[in-house]
Amino acid sequence: MGNVERCDKTLPSNEMIYRVRRDPALRARFLTDLEGLAREFGLSRAEYEAIRDKDPRRMMDLGIHQYYVPQILRLFFGAAHNSNASAALECYQRAFPDETAKAMALEARLGGGR
Amino acid sequence: MAEIVAAMAMTHSPGLTGWFTRASQDYQQQALQATAEMRRRLVAARPDVVVMFSNDHLLNWPINNVPEYTVGIADEHVGPADWFDEWLAMEQYRVPGHSAIARWLVNEGARRGLALAYLREMQYDDGISVPTHYLNPDAQFKLVPVTMNCTVPPIPTPERAYNVGTLIRETLRAYPGNERVAVVATGGLSHEPGGPRYFWVDEEFDRWFLELLKRGDHAALLRECTLERMEEAGSGGTAELLAWVLVLAFTRGPADVLAYMPAVAWRSGTGMVVWNEIAR
Repeated sequence: MGNVERCDKTLPSNEMIYRVRRDPALRARFLTDLEGLAREFGLSRAEYEAIRDKDPRRMMDLGIHQYYVPQILRLFFGAAHNSNASAALECYQRAFPDETAKAMALEARLGGGR
Repeated sequence: MAEIVAAMAMTHSPGLTGWFTRASQDYQQQALQATAEMRRRLVAARPDVVVMFSNDHLLNWPINNVPEYTVGIADEHVGPADWFDEWLAMEQYRVPGHSAIARWLVNEGARRGLALAYLREMQYDDGISVPTHYLNPDAQFKLVPVTMNCTVPPIPTPERAYNVGTLIRETLRAYPGNERVAVVATGGLSHEPGGPRYFWVDEEFDRWFLELLKRGDHAALLRECTLERMEEAGSGGTAELLAWVLVLAFTRGPADVLAYMPAVAWRSGTGMVVWNEIAR
């Protein structure tokens, strides 16, 4: 089955992002005190560091649901007018160079912009 | 007896409102024309209610407790949810609900063996907000939102979605009122939100899937378009097409494909479809 099957439904990170996303105060704290927030939600050191480093590959290897990865990047970079497009793309290019290069080649062929 | 009067489906990718102009002029034109045609046909069908089948993107339910289906039973629906408004570049909208039909679905569905969770206050991200922006911008039709799980394992199979569609169709028809009901599926086509292939679109799969809809042979579609095939074409995103398969159970015969765009810019295969005939 696909990548989504790799998520660990019991991972504290997945509970934390669900709560943070819905709460403006926690969203602010995510930017100023991620380490404290991670401790309160019971994240492992590895989970905290993967999120801190904005590393999609490590996040998913640990079991963070793939859907939450771009949302974590949006928490860091903001989201208005797709303003995180290039920053998020850079994170994915670092983590998944082959897959992302293939997608960019397709985009160039289709001429669709980004 | 409520009457089903229209069935259609469209992509709900956030790019369709949030960063619409990042795609080519050609794609923008195609999307605007196809959604305008959907709206024209929806208005012509004169529905009182639109039942919209979308999926919850881990917004309304935490990952420890994800129901297969959820009905929004409010008298009024307000979106987009906090934090999603700027991402979707949408002002707040309000759409009247039809709580009597929504609650009927939950209770009569249970009597017929179908477990539908419900929310009195549902939060809305792209899944309901984007199609509402294009199809019901003046809130002239009441809304009953139904979300499904297609991202947290175990993901239901297309066969299961079709069977649930049949059950919901019969439950709606048994509603003790004369409402005219349109059904709209939202989601798809190929994409892999957040996965390693986040920026990829599988054009070949999309065109193949749309051909199956054009053929209108439900048994063939269910036989060939397995969950595994959907996952290969984009994990955790392409399976949003389960909403389309659910709505397929409301229809008969070929669908009109109004547009298809392999829109990497909007991060999703993008399509708009209307069925011509409703199942008897």
